[in-house]
Parts: sequence; C-alpha cells; structure tokens
Amino acid sequence: MTQTLARAESGRPGHWFEADPLWFKRAVFYEIHIRGFYDGNDDGSGDFRGLTEKLDYLQWLGIDCVWLLPMYPSPLRDGGYDIADFYSIHPDYGTVDDFHNFVDQAHQRGIRVIADLVMNHTSSDHPWFQESRSSPDSPKRDWYVWSESDERYPDARVIFVDSEASNWTWDPVAGAYYWHRFFSHQPDLNYDNPAVREAMLDVLRFWLDLGIDGFRLDAVPYLFERDGTNCENLPETHAYLKRVRAEIDAHYPDRVLLAEANQWPADVVDYFGDGDECHMAFQFPVMPRLFMAIRREEATPIVDILEQTPPIPDNAQWGLFLRNHDELTLEMVTDDERDYMYAEYAKDPRMKLNLGIRRRLAPLLDNGRDEMELMTAILFSLRGSPVLYYGDEIGMGDNIYLGDRDGVRTPMQWTGDRNGGFSRADFARLYLPPLMDPVYGYQAVNIEAQLRTPTSLLRWVHRFIALRKQHPVFALGTWEALRPANPHILAHVRRYEDEIALCVHNLSRSAQAVELDLSAFKGLVPEEMLGRTAFPAVGELPYLLTLGGRGFFWFLLRSPS
Amino acid sequence: MSVEIATTLPEDALLAFVTAQRWFGAKSREPVGVRLLDHAALRHEAPLLVDALVELRYAAGTHDVYQLLIGLRQSGAEQANSVIAELDGWTGYDAFADPAAARELIHLVRGSSSLPAEEGTLEFHTLGAVPQDGAAVLRVRPLGLEQSNTSVILDDELIVKAYRRLEAGPNPELELLAFLTRHEFANVPRLHGWWSYNGPLMDATLGIVQRYVPNSVDGWTLALRELPDAPEAFSSRLRRLGEVIGAMHTTLASDSDDPAFCPEVPSAELLALVTATLDEQIESVFQHLPDLPELEPIAGRSDEVRDFLRSLSTFGPLGKIIRHHGDLHLGQALWADDDWVIVDFEGEPARTLPERRRKRSPLRDVAGMQRSFAYAASAVPEAPATFEERARAEFLGAYREAVQGSGILPDSDEAVERLLSIFELEKAVYELRYELDHRPDWLGVPVAGIVRLLEAR
Repeated sequence: MTQTLARAESGRPGHWFEADPLWFKRAVFYEIHIRGFYDGNDDGSGDFRGLTEKLDYLQWLGIDCVWLLPMYPSPLRDGGYDIADFYSIHPDYGTVDDFHNFVDQAHQRGIRVIADLVMNHTSSDHPWFQESRSSPDSPKRDWYVWSESDERYPDARVIFVDSEASNWTWDPVAGAYYWHRFFSHQPDLNYDNPAVREAMLDVLRFWLDLGIDGFRLDAVPYLFERDGTNCENLPETHAYLKRVRAEIDAHYPDRVLLAEANQWPADVVDYFGDGDECHMAFQFPVMPRLFMAIRREEATPIVDILEQTPPIPDNAQWGLFLRNHDELTLEMVTDDERDYMYAEYAKDPRMKLNLGIRRRLAPLLDNGRDEMELMTAILFSLRGSPVLYYGDEIGMGDNIYLGDRDGVRTPMQWTGDRNGGFSRADFARLYLPPLMDPVYGYQAVNIEAQLRTPTSLLRWVHRFIALRKQHPVFALGTWEALRPANPHILAHVRRYEDEIALCVHNLSRSAQAVELDLSAFKGLVPEEMLGRTAFPAVGELPYLLTLGGRGFFWFLLRSPS
Repeated sequence: MSVEIATTLPEDALLAFVTAQRWFGAKSREPVGVRLLDHAALRHEAPLLVDALVELRYAAGTHDVYQLLIGLRQSGAEQANSVIAELDGWTGYDAFADPAAARELIHLVRGSSSLPAEEGTLEFHTLGAVPQDGAAVLRVRPLGLEQSNTSVILDDELIVKAYRRLEAGPNPELELLAFLTRHEFANVPRLHGWWSYNGPLMDATLGIVQRYVPNSVDGWTLALRELPDAPEAFSSRLRRLGEVIGAMHTTLASDSDDPAFCPEVPSAELLALVTATLDEQIESVFQHLPDLPELEPIAGRSDEVRDFLRSLSTFGPLGKIIRHHGDLHLGQALWADDDWVIVDFEGEPARTLPERRRKRSPLRDVAGMQRSFAYAASAVPEAPATFEERARAEFLGAYREAVQGSGILPDSDEAVERLLSIFELEKAVYELRYELDHRPDWLGVPVAGIVRLLEAR
C-alpha cells in the first residue's frame, strides 16, 4: 500500500532522503564484512538477511552509511576482491533481491549503502578471462593485458610481496603472460579497450539502478599501463574516472565514489580532480601516523602529514579510518618509520603481512580504553568523514593464527551465547571461528553486554557519534593546528559558519599542562562538549589547560551569554 | 500579474514571518537565513496562490525545510491576515486560512491533479470520493491549537491539514490514516485525500484532507470538565477508550501482506537498544537538574532510576512490534456521538521521520495514555485521590481484552507490566525535560510519575 502513498521507485534513494549532494561530507561510515556480520539462515556465514535484521542496531549506533565489502560471486581467494560475476550476489550472502531489500530497508531508516567494486581486475574464474585466454582470436582476448614476455613495465612495483614475485604470470592455456598488479589469480582488465570501459560503466549502472548510494572503488590507481612509468596514477586512469563521475552526475544524483588509492597525499588529491572525479578518497598516510603519534607520545607525526596534505575541492572529502579489513598498511611511511611501527606494533612476526600489520584496533592499543577513546576522538576531530570498522566499536580482538587477513575478519560478537550470537549453525560450519580467548572472546566482549553497561566502549562510541553529528563543524569546518610548545599535545581549531570548536588531545601516558595561544578568541567561553561545562573565558594570557594521561577535551568556543 | 512575484519576497520578511509562527519548531536555534527551494502555482488569478518549500538555515550549519502556502492579493483590495510582506502593490500572505486557498486545495485533490513546480511536481490524490466540491465550500475557519501543522475546517465537513516542517518520506499520519480508512476502522476520521511533493529535492507529504468530527470534545477537556463532578462517568469513558485503542492496534496489526504494517518479531537486541537510549536520556536530564523544590523527590536519584531501568530490561517475551499512534494522550482522543475518535497520527514532533515510522511495541501508546491520566489527575485538584489508579485499571483492562488473540502483547502479565514500566519511564523522562524547558509549573507530574515507578518495584 505504501507504493500508492509515495512513489514506488524504491531504487531512487531520493525517495527516503532529502537531496543533499554533499551528504558524504557529514556522514559517519561503517565498514561491514557481510560474511562476518550476522547469519540470517543458519548456514554459518553472514548474509543480507542477517544484515537486514541488524539494521536496528546500526540505526541506534547512529552511523549514516554502510560500506559493504565485496558481495559478488567469487572463488574467495582474496576475500571476494576476486570477482567472478559483476551482476550477481555471492550465493552465501543471498540473492540480488535480498540485496535490494536490504538497501530499501536501510534507506527507510535513513542509512545509505555503498559497496566495494573492483574495477581493476577480475577473478581468473570470470567468464571474461576464461574466454580471453581460450584463443588469440577470442573477441575477449583484448579485455585483459597479454604479453609474449614478462619483461614489460619493469618499473611497476609488486604490491603483494609476500605471495607474488612478478606482476606477470604465464598462462599455459593462452600461451602468454598476463598482467596482474595483485594476486596472480586476479588478472588486470585492459582499460585501453573501449569495450572494457563501457562494460564497467554498465556494471555501475546496474547497481545504481538498484538504489545503491555509491561505490568504494578498490585499487583505482592501476587501471592503465604505460611503458616507462610505474603504471600508477596515470593520466588515462584519471580520465576514465572522470568519465565515470560524469555518468553519475548526469543520471544518479547524491551518489558517491570513494577511491581507494593508497598513495601519498600529493598523488591522492589528483583523484578528486577539479571536483569532477572521485567524491572521496581515503587519506591513507594519516592512519599509521596516528598510531606512531600515540606510541611516541607526540603530536608531530599527525600535524606534519596534515600540513603536507594539499587542499581539496569544496565538494570533496577525505575518508579517515583507524583500522579496516586489510592490514594496517605501511606503504606510505618511510623505511625508518616502518621499522619503528613493526617494532612497536608487530612484536610477533605473524602480525606482519605484506607491508603492514594485520591487527585490530583494540589489540594494537593493548586493549587500552583511554587509548581507544583518544584515537577515536582524534579521528573524529580531523577534516574528513570517519569510517569505523565493524567490531571496533566494542573493542573486538583478532586472531593472528588465521591466514592472510582473516584474523581481523572474525564473526561479529553479538552475545555471550554459542557462536557469539553470530549464527545458530554448528560451530564446525562457521566460516571462521569466533574469538574465544579470555580477553577478547565473545563471552568477554559482546554487543549485548556492552549495550547494558552504561560505561562500556560501545555506549561511549554511540554518544560520541551523536556528538559529532550534532556539530557540522567537524564535517565541514576548516582546520588550523595550534602547535603548542608541549609536544605531547595535539590541538586544533575547527570553524564552520558561526561555530568554533577547539580540540585538545594529550598523547602522553602522563598528565600534561599546556598553554594554548587563543588570542584570536579573546572573550569567548570554552564549553566542554560532552558534559556542557563552561570553562573560564579566554583572557589576555595564554590559555592554560591540564589534561590527564591520554585525555582530551573538545570545546565549543561560545560568546559569553 | 505572475505568481513569480512570490519568489521576490524579501528574505528578511520571510525569515521574520516563519520564525514568529507557532509551528516553527526550532525555537532554541538561531536561524541565519531562508531560501526558496521550489514552488508551484496553485492558482493564477487573484488571489494568486503558490505552494512553496523554503529552507531555514541555522548558525550551526544545519537546516530545516518548511512548507508555505503564499497568497498574493493586490494591496488594499482586501485586508489579508498573516501578512508576510508588501511588494510592488501586492500583499504576500500566508494563505492556509484563506477560504480561496482551501477551496482550491479541495478542488485539486478531487481532480487528482498534478501540477508542475520549478524542479518537482505537486501530486494530489483521493482515497474514495471527496464528499464536497471545493467550489461549494462556504465557511472556512482555522482549527487553531496545532503545533507542527496548520489545519482549516471546511463547512464542518472536512479538515485540510498542511504539514509545515517537511522531511523526506511519507508522513506517518498519511500512512496510518490511509491504512485505517482502507481497513474500515471506524474510530478515526476517515481520510479523503492528500497532496505531496515529488522532486529531486525530496518526496514528502504536504498535507491531507480528512473528515471533520463535529461537536466533539477532546479527552483532556472532557477530563477537566467531568473529573470534579462526574469522575465515575469519565472512568467508564476510559474503559471505552481502552477498547478503541485495543481495536485500533488489532487493526494496525492485521495485514501481514503490507510490509509497512506487517507485525514483526523484534530483533534480539531491540529492547536493549531502547533502554540504552533511555538510559542516556536519564543521565543527561539528571546531569543538569536545577535546584528546584518540585524536583526534590527525584534529586540525586539518577542512579536509582537507571538501576530500575536495568532491572526491567533483562530479556524476556516482548510481543510483536507494530505501527502505532506514536504520540497518544487524552488530547488526541475526541469524544463525539458517544464514542472516541482518535486523531493526530504524526508521532512525537521531536523525533525524525524514520524514527516516527518505526514499528515498536503498541504498549508505547498505552503508556502514553497512562501518563496522560497522571496529568489529568494533577490538573484537577478536586479529582478523587483514586482517580489515576482507577483510570489506569479501567483503560488497561479494556485494552487487554480488546487485543486478546491478536498476538501483539507478550502472554504473561509480568512481561506486559515490565514493558509498560519501561515506556512510562521513557515518557516521564521526556516530560521532565519538556517541562523543565517549557512549563516548570507542571514539573510535579513527571516527578511524581518517576517516583511512582520507583516505588512500585
């Protein structure tokens, strides 16, 4: 009946949202591994039915947009990033109808949905590749990058250094080498072929027509290859992304393209174009420096990288995160910094993977509650939209004895019951065992218990998300570092319209005093934002604050009333 | 003269007008600007009529969208009320109270018309026949009273109700009235039609046309009138009210083919989510309690209230969750022709539209009504001391009989009582905050309600 009350085009997100081309700048994102979230059909694997059942939780948590890890049919040799069919849903997760229903139910609750899409490559199981390798005369031969030799493009680095020796692999069926920037079972598509470029646009249209609010574009820097280059961030790649953006702008308002470009800030900003390429890009280099800063107890690593970050177009936004489904990547740090990070955060060699550390937030911070709050506060205070990783809101742990990145993709811990409340299937059928250790196991760490405990991390994260969303200054405001003399203190001012927020964080384990130069705000009264307590007005002298170890203050600077 | 003149209304005049209205909901926020987002001409001859969506912007960088029906008459031609601004020999005014506008709206609804706006479309719909022709309407008068909308009564036959603050998605009142009308539930004023805006900006319900209930008195007024002298008569009316609300919930839970109304088994953590939210509200309202004698009975008892809440929220049978009224109290029940008619299905105005559309336990409505009995007892000093207990028992007893067999409530009395206590506490905490901000004279009522819950355990 609702169909007659409001238009039946449930595929159109405008149906449930006020038009807002910049919604993503105000959004809090939440990254979900569908397989690990909730099992709706008792088969041991999370699915869209289960995810739909948990929308009440996501709505309560206050997040604005769900980011789904790959949901397509796949042999799952790379967590689903090896796509075997762009037009369907992995049978473990349900059907396209289940997906459509999930999106509609999420929209009805005011939650948007974006999904991972891998444009760069397919699974070697994809029919396109099978056809391509079958014969030099195959109409799909030019859909992939074939070569007689494995010598071409020598300047392109190998990314998965732990498993791949070369970007070329010999295919005995084709009698040729094929190009792959990631695993050898993930051949790169040939974007020099116009048919490939059109085929990928068709894929995007298919999901956009089903109502999806956008895509997280995996591995975008590698779409094209050119001799004499490192084959990353090429002008041709940017031109194609602009073509995708033009399609979105013309036919799909309020959708978002989020680029995964693990590059230095000066290169990443190119993915925004002049506001005509990707809407968002992850700010990868900030993340390891947040961990470096808290371990070294000094603000410099954070401030330095932020000040090196070039400005971005007004209609663009950074995506900021502490942890995600991959290893904590250390590609965008110096060799010295990487050694430091390994020494501090990956004491067991099992914790390392490729150029990174495969651990979750809580274990990285030694399960320190103050540290988790401080890191979240810093993340939420910076310019950009925060992206939370499922389970980190309750301080879930990891299992470094599971292979590849599975250790950070274990089942969501809903209750202290069997299988952590994730699934009613037999334990042996679960896609991965839930954590059961005494510190991070589901009996100690679960949503049910934390919901009932007013002082829990989950309840704190909930209040903190609400606080950030009440103040658009964090999403839209300018950022000015204060650089106080005390090196342990990270302090910055955010301004938007008439609102001024002052965020002061103590990275040290011990209590600190800091004098802040607030002369620009003389006469204003700092009001602490969580408890709404008024502090003394800013006067002539430097503003003196004392903070407990790993403590922070967020203030609104208000006119005295 | 073109209706485009409506787009030239000066911003400061629009801002001053909107912020002075009762239905302007953001009294505590500082508006810094207003902008016309889209508009459609409803009538091209005098008085010109323009249905407009305007955006109010606030200092913190947030905004709201409001609906205005702007009328334009030649200055001096006729005295118009609710003047927004004078410009170029024309008077721009808020036209919902103008009989010409009401007639035009009825005419458009009857015709299931579709009118182009600059960006979107205005669509008018009927549900069954609209009994009255717009042109034949003689008398139009404002209903008054309303807080988030504007209603006018046409010849004591129809009400045209326009929503002022707009949110994307169907208004829950439209959904509920349409559902109840189609399922022939007799104790609501039937819905005759509605109009909505569909466009790139949003899809939103702009207003509804429903039957007017003549010669009615609302339950609150009736309580004030009857409690001093005829408390027995009033209590028996509450018995009937319990039956009506029970029947309404049974109807709302009766159609499992309609996904928007199909009763659902709540998710395992729903109760924990509700109580976690309530716990935070309790913490925040108690954190800032002023030092007032009326608050003395609950002062410093925040932990006790939160412990009480925690003791209620252990898992147990929850019944079903369904669409429900959402803001039920005595003022939303009209007594007419010896029976109750339930009105105002918009839900609590402070909640967002997705929240107001959510399925929850129907006991939320029951709790709302029971809190209303406490207000009535407090408003009428002459009421018998036992009135509130009696009213609760009559209402709840009749309600539970009426919903028997519908499966929407948990089976055990204990579980029903437990859920009711949670929802009453939720309501009382909301009242506490509201009275602190708006009506300190009434603070005693929520305070007594909270104490009552604490002592009943």
